[in-house]
Amino acid sequence: MTDFLEIYGRQIAQAAGTHLYYVLLSVAIAFAVSLTLGILLSRAPRWANIILPLLSLFQTVPGIVFIGLLFLAIGIVPATIIIALAIYAIFPILKNTYVGIIEVDESYREAAKGCGMSALQALIRVELPLALPAIISGLRMSLVYTVSWAVLAAMIGLGGLGDLIFAGISSNNNALILAGALPAALMAILCSLGIDLLRGILIPRPLRRDVL
Amino acid sequence: MIRFEHVSKSYGGTLVLDDLSFEIAPGQLAVLIGPSGCGKTTTLKTINRLIETDKGDIYVNGRSIARLNKVELRCSIGYVIQQIGLFPHMTVEQNICVVPKLLKYSKERCQKITHEMLELVKMPYEEYAHKYPNQLSGGQQQRIGVLRALAASPPIVLMDEPFGALDPMTRLVLQEEVRRLQQKLNKTIVFVTHDMDEALTMADTVIFMEKGRIVQMASPDEMLRNPASDLICSFMGKRSLNNQHLPQTVADIMRDKVVTVTKDHGVRASVELMSRKNIDTLILTNADGSYAGVVSVDRIKRSGKGYKTVEPLMNRGYPFSYEDEDGQVAFDKLIDGGVNYVVVLRRDRTVAGIVTKTSMARSMAEAVWGNGE
Repeated sequence: MTDFLEIYGRQIAQAAGTHLYYVLLSVAIAFAVSLTLGILLSRAPRWANIILPLLSLFQTVPGIVFIGLLFLAIGIVPATIIIALAIYAIFPILKNTYVGIIEVDESYREAAKGCGMSALQALIRVELPLALPAIISGLRMSLVYTVSWAVLAAMIGLGGLGDLIFAGISSNNNALILAGALPAALMAILCSLGIDLLRGILIPRPLRRDVL
Repeated sequence: MIRFEHVSKSYGGTLVLDDLSFEIAPGQLAVLIGPSGCGKTTTLKTINRLIETDKGDIYVNGRSIARLNKVELRCSIGYVIQQIGLFPHMTVEQNICVVPKLLKYSKERCQKITHEMLELVKMPYEEYAHKYPNQLSGGQQQRIGVLRALAASPPIVLMDEPFGALDPMTRLVLQEEVRRLQQKLNKTIVFVTHDMDEALTMADTVIFMEKGRIVQMASPDEMLRNPASDLICSFMGKRSLNNQHLPQTVADIMRDKVVTVTKDHGVRASVELMSRKNIDTLILTNADGSYAGVVSVDRIKRSGKGYKTVEPLMNRGYPFSYEDEDGQVAFDKLIDGGVNYVVVLRRDRTVAGIVTKTSMARSMAEAVWGNGE
């Protein structure tokens, strides 16, 4: 065990670092894009009824296929994997943002309007805070999925924990597979815990319970 | 204060407001009432421009609202809705200060306002300011809803069936409170309801609408004495119909829809029930269904800790009366006891209903003005 860590420890740490970098950057991009898009769609539900089903259809295209295509278009640069991951991460956040805002009870909207809030003020002070539990659970989903999808980066030689897993598979070395898989699993759990922490800080008590 | 001049509005060909002209004087509480679809809510919402009119002008304080900035207009007009609409992610204090904050009042000023507002309805700041709406009873929530509308001291307050979701008892208490606040703060209030009792208890002026027109605009006295149409008569219901058998028994004047539970009901379950039904008091019975006493939510909050059932918190001395007694007996108890209602029992001591101050007002109106025939 110690021998193993001596040989691979550095490599594992480095791979985990790269992996986390891909995950965080792509989810951050996805979050910014889908929050904006979700808000825009909530202003035009008619468009949402076209765009959301299309995106969910796209979601069924296997990641490998999509990364392969992007690889042909862009080449072996980190941007390839980051764009691919970000695109897959968009959907859960976008959908939850949209649904979260749309499902804000009409009485709150009317109260906000009647109190004299402009559309923007109503969005920032009432709709978004009320949609926040949904948005954050979308973020959690994206983050956890992206940790596992980021394994695919290794397929096109871009490193990450997938390197160890694929190396382990091709050399029939179980220890090496675990050296990639365990940190990935751990990373997913930690990300989820991180979201819990964020939820605790951002969401006032009465809104916390009814969300997954 | 508020003047409508030939205001019309239609939705897809149907006229909902038909050439409406009337004026509400400053400091008045005007109640808009009528069958559903008569345009009362639409009328209300045109005043703060939640609904825009097609034709005609509305003047607030002598200025045409069409020329005012919408947001400014709404900040100067309080608005209370039936669904209460307190923002669940904000505390009581934050909810009260929504409009002051929009008007960019300082933090200190907002806090001062919250103190003053909660004072008005006798809810201590320390206890309530930092609670969230879901920790309050229905009655308390709507009190805060009213305070939110009053916070930036607007001269006008619009209320859209504000007590429609509350139980009769809480409703009565809130009606009195709003009336008291209105007189104390000298507000002009426009109030929508479909409950004639409510209209007659609260209004300085009742505006009865049908099909987008005003059928009658008069003081409650005048409307009781000379209702302008059959529809108004039927709205005033029993008041103008079964007047034959005076004096009335308690059973004739009571409300019969009341919530009772057995006295071994859990404290927690009782509080939950009260908040679900939006009531402040529960009537308790013994295991055999006979009347035992009442328990109030205040009493539970004050001393309910450590008790499993509501029995030890029960008030056994609460005024009650039998259903076959003369109505007068119940009224005397209602007035002498200084209570909001009297429990009505059948002779086998099961609970039949309650007599409220509104029941009394209605019965007295019948006695004074007869049935209008």
